[in-house]
Amino acid sequence: MAFLDLDGLRCHVQRLGPQDGRPPAATVVLLHGLLTDSLASYYFTLAPALAAAGLDVLMYDHRGHGRTARPPAGYRLEHFVDDLEALLDRLEITGPVQLVGNSFGGTVAFGLAARRPAQVAGILAIESEPASRAWAVKLDGILRKAERHLAEEETLAWVAEQRGRHTARLARSAGALLAGTSLARDIPASLLPAEAELRAIRCPVLAVYGTESDLAPQAAWLDGLLADCRSTFVPGQEHSVLIEAPETVRALTLSWLREHGARLRGGAARREVERSVR
Amino acid sequence: MTVSEQTVDLQPPTEQEVLTEITAMLAAVLEEYGLDDAEVTMESRFTEDLELESIDLVTLAGQLQDRWGDRINFAEFLAGMELDEIIGLTVGRLVRHVVDRLQSAGRS
Repeated sequence: MAFLDLDGLRCHVQRLGPQDGRPPAATVVLLHGLLTDSLASYYFTLAPALAAAGLDVLMYDHRGHGRTARPPAGYRLEHFVDDLEALLDRLEITGPVQLVGNSFGGTVAFGLAARRPAQVAGILAIESEPASRAWAVKLDGILRKAERHLAEEETLAWVAEQRGRHTARLARSAGALLAGTSLARDIPASLLPAEAELRAIRCPVLAVYGTESDLAPQAAWLDGLLADCRSTFVPGQEHSVLIEAPETVRALTLSWLREHGARLRGGAARREVERSVR
Repeated sequence: MTVSEQTVDLQPPTEQEVLTEITAMLAAVLEEYGLDDAEVTMESRFTEDLELESIDLVTLAGQLQDRWGDRINFAEFLAGMELDEIIGLTVGRLVRHVVDRLQSAGRS
């Protein structure tokens, strides 16, 4: 599978499944973050291990990102949640699914859980948070700054020097996304869920933070807000936990899914956990 | 495991043949960036030299699977590597991986 038409949006979708011919243990949808991110962040890290553990693994590029189409407008959070709903409907996935969201991907996951609680079995949120007034203000600042600086050649040259050409390449793409669309204006103007709607999310949530991340101090707030949420911290990491500590994220995800009833194949989950704590 | 018809090549391809095929796949990806005249050699690095983004490697993974089926699992090949290793990955390393896999599939 490569491209699906979602209400007029040409969406790049990748789906990996168990190779042993048996039915999958559960469906897991992997949601990537904003700007420099794409489904590739999962495709080469988490997805193969989840498929090998017997899971149906669904990944897609958000609108404007990766290989999915880039409409000039329509980038409020609710549009991203619409896409996820349309994808699940289109693939006739009706049962509850596990969601894994990195950064903004987790915000989309909380959006779906608020909108369709029966369809979400659980959320693993990596360096993420549900949309709120504070989130909108913060994103507004980040996106304005990115829009201004990623258009400058000297910034891109600095990124190339500090972080390598691949990161500079991703930064240039992010600059093109911001320059070619209304994303920077749309995200802060998203329809925000009321606190009561977030409190109504009953599914189990595991929130993963880097100990050095700006988001980590919010863990207690989120644990208190949601009905069934606990936090875990990855030592020494900042925001890029998924990319910088893929083995730890693999181990956490497999043990999280096993804890919530997914009958994973082989000793995959146990081995991963042992490796991560070694 | 049964060997289906599509997985049987009479002769496993040589490094040069695989390089030619992978070069054609890369040309299709690079064309979208207007970089279709980029020279591809065994030493070319996917990200540093050819300037591919990680999402382009997903496209390449699909092309590899279309061509050689489940014998080539690019995602699994990369999943065993550190990020720095993926960024430094050369075309030659992928070519040799493909040749090895096709040779061992030919023997089984």
